[in-house]
Amino acid sequence: MKKFLHAAGLTLFALTIVVPLLWVLVNSLKTGSEVFSRPWGIPSSPQFVNYKNAWNEAGIGKYFLNTLLVTVGTLVILLPISAMAAYIFGRYPFRGSKTLFSAFLGGMMFPNFLVVIPLFFLLRDIPLGDGNMLDTRTGLILVYVAYSLSFTIFVLTGFFQALPGELAEAAMMDGCGHAKTFWKIMLPLARPGLIVVGIFNAIGLWNEYPLALVLLSKDENRTLPLGIADLVMSQHYASDWGALFAGLVIVMLPVMVVYWIFRDKIHETMLAGAVKG
Amino acid sequence: MKKRGRTAFIITFLSPAVLLYGVFVVYPLIQALLLSFYRWKGVSKNRTFVGLDNYKELAQDQTFHKALSNNLWLMVVGGAFIVVLSLLLAHGMQSNHKGVRVLRGLYLFPQVISLVVVAIIWQFIYNPEYGLGTGLTKAIGLSGYGQPLGTSSQALTAVGIAFVWYALGFYVMLFSAGLKQIPEEVTEAASLDGSTGFHRFKTITWPMLWSVKRISAIYIVINVLNIFALVYIMTKGGPDRATETMLTYLYEQAFTNSKYGYGTTIAAANFVIAMILAAILMFVFRKNPEGERA
Repeated sequence: MKKFLHAAGLTLFALTIVVPLLWVLVNSLKTGSEVFSRPWGIPSSPQFVNYKNAWNEAGIGKYFLNTLLVTVGTLVILLPISAMAAYIFGRYPFRGSKTLFSAFLGGMMFPNFLVVIPLFFLLRDIPLGDGNMLDTRTGLILVYVAYSLSFTIFVLTGFFQALPGELAEAAMMDGCGHAKTFWKIMLPLARPGLIVVGIFNAIGLWNEYPLALVLLSKDENRTLPLGIADLVMSQHYASDWGALFAGLVIVMLPVMVVYWIFRDKIHETMLAGAVKG
Repeated sequence: MKKRGRTAFIITFLSPAVLLYGVFVVYPLIQALLLSFYRWKGVSKNRTFVGLDNYKELAQDQTFHKALSNNLWLMVVGGAFIVVLSLLLAHGMQSNHKGVRVLRGLYLFPQVISLVVVAIIWQFIYNPEYGLGTGLTKAIGLSGYGQPLGTSSQALTAVGIAFVWYALGFYVMLFSAGLKQIPEEVTEAASLDGSTGFHRFKTITWPMLWSVKRISAIYIVINVLNIFALVYIMTKGGPDRATETMLTYLYEQAFTNSKYGYGTTIAAANFVIAMILAAILMFVFRKNPEGERA
């Protein structure tokens, strides 16, 4: 009896997770009328055209490319500058370095949304091209970099501390300067850490909604979460339900695949970040 | 190595991160504190210093009270469900059975997909016409349900269920890690002493989970006070403010009504409330009954 309850409980848990996700997947292959008439049924013939419609007609393709651009753009800036700072915090202690490190970690404690109002006006006041940084992907990328620094530096500092010091010393003996030792020897050694923290950040950035909501407004700049939320809230989808579900799959599937491949590492990183608090 | 080269190196390597962090994180944070003492419609330069007026207004604001009490309700009721469920599930997932291994790969999915997707999925689940829930209740012979998200008395519970669905995995992960840390000898010794089942749980397991309980409590406070996307997309705080939370109210005041000073005051209040609750938790969990671990 105990064994049965155990198995039943875990099965129920698994079903509550899997069924809603599968339902979205199945609905993404139904015609609009099938979504209504048979909520629990399977499509009579899979409507792959929903994906085409979502991508082209509903604008998901455009939002997808924006999200890709913003995510990659953020990582390209974030990873080197975090690695540089983490290298200093991990291996070059100086007077005040502990305080500065704590100031960076402090950013993990308060929610970004608390500063959205000043951030909104800050971007409006920074000139860029003919206008300002508000409602630009560049502005969003810089904000994303800034708000990802805390966690990234925290994880990478641990990585650099754990690397053997002899290698760096040997390189310095051979006449490499501080910077060359970092780029040629230490950074390549920290690659596993960079990959993990990069993937972890990528998932968060891909999904980010509140900052994008406040800082972007033009349709052409919108990221995936913004675009799909707007489709739902403004009821544009009413004409094509299947395409809307296809859009949801396009938003969540890449993250699920990446998570599945790297789940053990992501798990470790999440725990490390959580337990530090 | 030359001392001078070292200093220059440190400065060069730190400055990009310090610069970005200073401009986009620290500066707005200071601004956020200052802005809450102003009345400001967002038109540049034209701000009026009003001292504590915004805070006084907030103290009288019925909608803010409603939002705060909704946040606290989600924290207490949702938090209780989360702790009980994640403890049970983490316990059940200790074995190395094949099914459990698959479940371990799955249970964080709600946590890693976008909250926007979570909100939309649950909005659809609650849809009275074609939602998953309607289909399910009809399938077991009931008449389906009305509109949980459109009914004042049900909306907060409906949002709460979606929140628990989203958040649960993270806490299952924490409790799993906590249970794994309990040395096997301890449980074995307890079993030999004839301590089993609920008694063993009460005397051994529960006290030994001290640090996990502390972390979970703090995360629940932070997570619930930060609820925004889920509510904003599912209900926009409605119907009739039934699901209004502090951050959805902040968004409305600032970006719909252009009351930026007042919006910042809500943010500051949210932050202060988080600090107070964290301080209370630190006090409650001030001493580890097990002593040795921090």
